Amino acid sequence: MRGDRLNALLLILPATAFLLLWFVVPLCRLLALAFTGEAGGFESLWTLLSSNVYQRVLGNTMIVAVIVTLLTLVLAWPVAYVLTRLKGIGFMLMLYGVLFPFWISVLVRTFSWMLLLERNGPINRFLMGLGVTDQPLALLFNETGVLIGMTHVLLPYAVLPLFSAMNRIDRRLLQASDGLGAAPLDTFRRVYLPLSLPGLFGGGTFVFLLCLGFFITPALLGGANAMTLSMLISSFVTDRLAWSLAAAGSIILLAIVLVLMGLAMRLLPLDKGMFAK
Amino acid sequence: MSQLSPSLRWIAYASANLVIAFLVLPILAVIPTSFNQASFITVPPTAWSWRWYEAFFQDIEWQSALWVSIQIAVLATLIALAAGTPAAIGLQRLPPRLRAAMTGLFLAPMIVPVIVSAVAIYRTALDIGLNGTRIGMALSHAALALPFVVINIGIALRGVDSRWLQAAAGLGATPWTIFRTITLPNIVPGLVGGAVFAFITSFDEVVIAVFMAGYGAKTLPVKIWESIRLEFTPVVAVAATLMILLAGILFILARMIGTKRNGVTV
Amino acid sequence: MSGIGLPLRFDGATKRYDEMVALQPTDLSVEAGEFLTLLGPSGSGKTTLLNLIAGYAEPSGGSLWIGSRDVTRLAARHRNIGMVFQSYALFPHMTVAENVGYGLAVRRLPGAEIARRVEAALQLVELAGYGARPIQNLSGGQQQRVALARALVIEPDVLLMDEPLGALDRQLRRNVQLELRRLHEEHRRTTLYVTHDQEEALILSDRVAVMRNGRIEQIGKVADLYANPANSFVASFIGESNLLDAKLVSQEAGRALLEVPALRQQVAAPSPSPLASGQAVRLLIRPEHLFLDDAGPVQATVTEVVYLGELTALRLQLPAGEQLWLRQLTGRTVARGATIRVNWQDEHLRVVPEAR
Repeated sequence: MRGDRLNALLLILPATAFLLLWFVVPLCRLLALAFTGEAGGFESLWTLLSSNVYQRVLGNTMIVAVIVTLLTLVLAWPVAYVLTRLKGIGFMLMLYGVLFPFWISVLVRTFSWMLLLERNGPINRFLMGLGVTDQPLALLFNETGVLIGMTHVLLPYAVLPLFSAMNRIDRRLLQASDGLGAAPLDTFRRVYLPLSLPGLFGGGTFVFLLCLGFFITPALLGGANAMTLSMLISSFVTDRLAWSLAAAGSIILLAIVLVLMGLAMRLLPLDKGMFAK
Repeated sequence: MSQLSPSLRWIAYASANLVIAFLVLPILAVIPTSFNQASFITVPPTAWSWRWYEAFFQDIEWQSALWVSIQIAVLATLIALAAGTPAAIGLQRLPPRLRAAMTGLFLAPMIVPVIVSAVAIYRTALDIGLNGTRIGMALSHAALALPFVVINIGIALRGVDSRWLQAAAGLGATPWTIFRTITLPNIVPGLVGGAVFAFITSFDEVVIAVFMAGYGAKTLPVKIWESIRLEFTPVVAVAATLMILLAGILFILARMIGTKRNGVTV
Repeated sequence: MSGIGLPLRFDGATKRYDEMVALQPTDLSVEAGEFLTLLGPSGSGKTTLLNLIAGYAEPSGGSLWIGSRDVTRLAARHRNIGMVFQSYALFPHMTVAENVGYGLAVRRLPGAEIARRVEAALQLVELAGYGARPIQNLSGGQQQRVALARALVIEPDVLLMDEPLGALDRQLRRNVQLELRRLHEEHRRTTLYVTHDQEEALILSDRVAVMRNGRIEQIGKVADLYANPANSFVASFIGESNLLDAKLVSQEAGRALLEVPALRQQVAAPSPSPLASGQAVRLLIRPEHLFLDDAGPVQATVTEVVYLGELTALRLQLPAGEQLWLRQLTGRTVARGATIRVNWQDEHLRVVPEAR
């Protein structure tokens, strides 16, 4: 079977070489800049972690990520639940409603929100027409805009894992609970909810990790008033040419993502069968 | 619970529909804006016209951005397919541990935050002079698209029974013949699905593009990005509408392939 | 017969799904403490009938009574019925004890009582001490017993089992069958049991209802079904049978005179159910009721000899072309291809109507 092994290695060679040369090596070179830059050593990391401004950015990034994660889960819940109940054309339409946004550029989706959230945009006019407010609300270029836009962009990522977990729940388990005398709320609390938790955690982790590294939406909807870590990294490179600080920021972001992912993989039975024979 | 009480049921269905509306309607809001007559953006427009479409197609910069985007997306798709297809097949034949490690590598571009990948690739591209070139951009987008190709083909390969391959080998077929006559016909949907998603990944991509574009590889999203931040004219709405249109066509195409096999993929 | 369960009654209960009739209007009475098996091929309506009783489906017509209570429209959770599912439907995120105690926990019983009753139930199914184990760590047979304990611990008025042994291998099935019979004999709880395995039905039941096409074809003690099947379907479904085409010539007082082309003669056979003239009938001869007899009225050729241990089965070819199976005690050897003569006693024959 040695020939087989060799064959397999040859098959993965092009992709491996390509990713090493155009992804892994550049990544390592960037991360190395944090230690070999102007200041050297751990100076860049230290600068980033000890400065008040940067700490605020980091905190802001985390807060936004937490809120967006919670919002997406709350909104994803009814959609995922109803998806498990629908059949035929109704199911298709709702599923397409979830999948279609994936195909639209984040930039376009964010641009749409800029139009909608504007000072004189339709949402403000609608709210004023209703009499909720008598002068336009500031929905753009602050946290509110970022939260709305990111929730919108990341929502499908929460719906799909939740739907797949709920869909796997055997209806006979619910029947069994019913037959054993459980009231609907009991069945929900003791059977349905615990069995959908993997999807809730999976979707939540997924959204949270994407939030941390999100760039386009916060950059356009939040602007300088709601700086996130990714915007900071970008501004180090484009505005200040401070490569070692950008590298240090990248290390922090990457470290958080990898640690959280490692934790999640340990705690969650993710789809291990994807590449199994 | 097998029968949710009618009022709860109504609430669940109503809120699910509202959330779907929240997902879909804002995306579509940009379309009427592109038919605006005024020189500034109003939603919805008060008067309609094709004037910004004319402006888009007369502006050499917008046209070139569209063309560059298409070129780069096609190139990135080809690179991702050429590397990803054999990789997906090879992965299946690796011993479990190596398979897990290599899967991790192939999926890494999906896991590493794009801003980090963007800055990293940008730096190396600067150093070797591939910055602002179409090939540099296509390579970067291919790296992002590779995971989707590997996943899609990996899923399709699960439908190829290894006994078919053994049967073919037993009947005297060479490995290449087996691939051509047994494996390939059965993974065509995965191949097309992966290609379509690779294309849209590249065509929609902004973050790497914003760093890498320079003057030589300014894609449509980069042009939109710059316009939003500088001028904010209704032409942006036209460009965005065109991107939605293309994504819509590809989405329908992918769904048509998707319905031919069971299972749901993105 | 008195047991701890309640009697059960179907009054013309029926179930339709759109155009498809899953259960024809059915009358059925199950006594308290009785073990009734629903036997039939898949799609015959057994599971539908069970789901109606459990409350997982609502009848399209008729009514359904448990004890003196009309439960036709009652929600499943208020029926106090124990159900053992075909796939067990054990809660995967709970331990054995949590599964078994579930019905008690949702009834808000105190923890100490739950623990006591769960342990007693586990003891009953011989899984004492397994309480803390996760469900996934159990074998199929153990899971089956947990499902049974979970259904029994709530002291249900009726116990329902939907092919509960389908997933077990043959040896284990036999053990569990004997175990189920012991449990039922000790407690005599009203039980409805679905299976498509006639041997299982024989071992377990007081009575058997044979179902086909959403209808109960016949209900009774197994021996009665075997001896006096209501029609050719029941005859062929229970036990081995030779069914020969026949024409009714005349009938009087429980006997019918038949013209049987395959035997090239007229035969007078007992006919348990009165027959309408012109009704299509068949002659039933059980293989064990045929015997070799040099003076027998029918000549046949042996085309197959199958050794079954204590019995030997012979396949016979009649001159008219029909095949007959004959079973006899192993001993006298018969060669394939031999020409022999067979005989029977008219008392053992039955006239059965052709099943619609």
